[in-house]
Parts: sequence; structure tokens; C-alpha cells
Amino acid sequence: MATNKGDINDGGAESFLTLGPDNSVTVRYHPDFGPHSDLILLEVPDDSVLNDLLRGRVTIRGQFDEDAVLCTPSSTYAMKFVGTSNSVFLIPPGKPNLSDPQPNPLVSVLKLAPGNVELVLTAPRLDKLRFLLMQRLYKIDEEDEEDCSSEGLYTWHDLICSIQASDEELREGLKFLSAVEINGFWRIVHPKSVNMILTMVLTNSVLHDWSLDALVEEEVLSVLESDGFNTTIVKHCLETFGTKNENDNSKLWGLDKKRIAVHFAKQVLGSNGGKMRLEIFIEKWMRNVQKGTPFDLNMLEGEVLYETIGAETWIKAFSVADLPLTPDARFSVLFKECAKWAWKDLEPYVRDLRVPGISSEGLLIKYTRRVQPNADAEPIFSAR
Amino acid sequence: MEIKVKCNCGVENCSEWAILELQGVVESQPSIANQIRGLEIGRLCCSSSSSQVNYTFTVGYHELSGTKVSLKKPLLVLKKNKQEEGSVSNNEVDLEVIGIIRHKILFKNRPKAIISRPQVKDKKASD
Repeated sequence: MATNKGDINDGGAESFLTLGPDNSVTVRYHPDFGPHSDLILLEVPDDSVLNDLLRGRVTIRGQFDEDAVLCTPSSTYAMKFVGTSNSVFLIPPGKPNLSDPQPNPLVSVLKLAPGNVELVLTAPRLDKLRFLLMQRLYKIDEEDEEDCSSEGLYTWHDLICSIQASDEELREGLKFLSAVEINGFWRIVHPKSVNMILTMVLTNSVLHDWSLDALVEEEVLSVLESDGFNTTIVKHCLETFGTKNENDNSKLWGLDKKRIAVHFAKQVLGSNGGKMRLEIFIEKWMRNVQKGTPFDLNMLEGEVLYETIGAETWIKAFSVADLPLTPDARFSVLFKECAKWAWKDLEPYVRDLRVPGISSEGLLIKYTRRVQPNADAEPIFSAR
Repeated sequence: MEIKVKCNCGVENCSEWAILELQGVVESQPSIANQIRGLEIGRLCCSSSSSQVNYTFTVGYHELSGTKVSLKKPLLVLKKNKQEEGSVSNNEVDLEVIGIIRHKILFKNRPKAIISRPQVKDKKASD
């Protein structure tokens, strides 16, 4: 008859562990000995995870068709069961309560453990996040439309239950996607809407003589609100393209000219795959961007690729932010796009890859073939 | 789905469990079959010689020698609880930390047969 196992206190673990020289204990099967498949041994890799576990800060996340992961507030671990051929006898704590006196202390074995679960630090599985949030992009006039269902919309809690990442990694993932929380749902704003709001901010700056280095948050929000724009989205635009100056209590935003220049470059080229002749691109880009913005093509690394077609150079949209996060999928897409890469072209498209336990050199060795004809030549990378 | 791993014991009060580990399998005589609950397995003794503390585990007519090992990575004992019906959470299962194991006594040397011992209920089968 099993009591609540959290209360089992008659195993004698203490006597077992404190057994000293010239003493002995008797080891027996606990009256409750059995498979107890509801008891699991979990190996803890370090003190930080141990601390999180003992303070109840750990959760297990995943869908039924996925391998479960264990998440601390900041890290994600794959869970792997490792069996053993040894006999591992599990002894609960406490002293046995006996009716008849025993010559030696009694230690009772509750279960034979078949093995334990190991934790392996792993990259958070965030590709799914983009997939989910792309289902319904937020458009400015969305509230006016007929469809008010919340299908394809995800709250923070929905995301936690679907995405195998720790809270901190999930927040970073949302930031990386420039997602914003609207009415409790996390949304990616449609590029056309982003462009509309940014253009409104820039146009109004000229109209009202605002300094782009010190936009007054309240003023921007109220002017755009009177034009019918949701303040959450306008504020998100400021966050996406600017940085807050927190001097003097007044909330001032400085817009980042580089981020704006990159935005307009992408507008000119269209989405991934859009391409045009380089001179035409530069001409259109210059027209869109603010006067006095120092721009150069180096700002676009990780966003565009160049092709030589005949005697002309063409430029093509190819943004690292749209590519898969897992190394094998990433390299697969990169080599599909272009069979051979020089390191200086490849680097912006792989520098964000992070796999615990593997360095960036390690990733290159694992997923690419490196060819360097002689010491002076640039190395060329291709698929393995 | 999200399953919280509860811990009511906190950092200071986690009950310490222990492990006795040996290579091979302990079997009982066929007449005992599955009725092993409460049955004695063997005697564990401790002795010290010069610098070391040794342990001897006698099972049937076998004698094993081993040492106490501190686990580099501690083990936590987790219990899977099935949720009662009508509980708040949507999950069917939750997990709770009910103990920690920091040390084990490990027997990995070949057992020695003690020929003069009378047959007892348990015999040790070596691998």
C-alpha cells in the first residue's frame, strides 16, 4: 500500500550514507518495492540548473509529436534517456519504522532504476515561431475588416505551449522578428504597414520640423493617432527604427539612419528574390532616403546579393532574417542560392548561427567544404 | 503543452536519497518468485584501511567490494503525478522534485565467492 511518495521516509538513506568503519547495515527490498515507473532520475548538468529546478523555475515544453525539452528561465535542454546495464538500487530517505528490533540499521530499496534522463544544452527551436506569426500579419486597417476571429493568433501563453524555448530565448526570438503585442496577441506587422507608418513619421517630421535625432514620443504618438494610427504600432515603429534617449524624463527617440536606409533599400528591391540593375537600384534608393543620410552598400550586407549578368552587376534581395535558424537548413538554403561562396560574402549569412558546444569554425567544418587553391587565394565554401 | 516542474522542498530542504549500484543482477531463488518485498538482499559493511574507506556487500555467497562515490552531476528524483479530474491545469501530468542524490556506493569489482557460507535465500548472479 503506497503512501504519497513525497513522504516516503523509511528507506534509511541516511544510515546508508553515514555508514562508518566497523559498522554494517542490512539492505532489503522495501515492502513497497516495485517498478514505480512514475519515479524518474534526472541528471543535473550544473549548479545553475539545479538551483532553477529546486526553486520551481523549470518547465517542460513541446507538442506530443516533438521530443520534450526542459526549459529554465534562460536556457533550453534536450532530454535524453540513458539506460544502464548496472543494477541501480534506489534508496529513499529516512529511518525505518520497525516493530521488531533489528541488530543492524535497515536500509530499504524502493526501485531498480533502468537509467536516468540526461540534459543536453540545445539551441532554442525558434523557426516555428516565425512560421506561426506569419500566419496572420498585422495590417493597419485590420480592425475594420469583417474577420474578427482569433484563429492564427497567438498569445504569450499560446507561444510558450507551442515553442520549445525558454522564456528569455522566446523574448529574444520575438525581438529578432520585430514582433509586437497587440490586444494580447503577438504579431508581425505587414511590411506595407511598416512602410506606411515610417513614411508618415518621416513626412510629419518635415511638416512639424521635428528633429529625427530627438523625436518627442508623446508628440509623434498624438499626431499619428489623430491621423488614425494605432499608438501601439507607432511606438513599435519607433522601437524598430530608433533608440530611446532617456535623458530629462522626456521620452526622446533618435532614429537610426542605417536602419531606415536598409528599410528603403528593401522597399526598392521588393521581397526576397526581387532584383534589378545596380545603377537603377542606387538611383531609386537615393531618391527614397533622407538627404544627408550617409549610405553605402556595406549597410546592406546580409540583406542583398550581387550577380554579374554579362557586363552588368545586378543586386538582389536576400535577407538573413528570412532564412532558417538551424545550421543544416541554413546551409542548405545558402548553397541552393549559390553553389560557391567566398568567405566575405558568406560571413554575414552565418554569423548569427548559434549551436551550444560548436564554434562557428566547427559549423563550417561540419556543413561546408572549404577549398583554397593556394595560400594567397581566398577560400571558397561549397556544400559538403 | 507546458508541464511545470514543481518543487516543494526548496533549495535547503531537498530530501537526500541514495543509490547502491552494482554490475550484474540480483536474483532470488525460484521458490520466492515475485514475493521479494521485505526480503533481505544482503549485508553492507564498512571498513577503513590506511587512507581509504571500503565497503563490502555480501549477497548470498558473493562478496562485492566497492567505494562511495560523489556524483559529479547530482541526480534529482522526480515524480510524475497524474492530475485529478477537474483540476485547474489542462495537462494530464505534472512533475515534482521529491529528492536529490549526491552520493552512491558503487560496486564494480568482480564478486568473490564465499564458499563456506551456507545457502541463503538470495543468490547473486554475476554477468
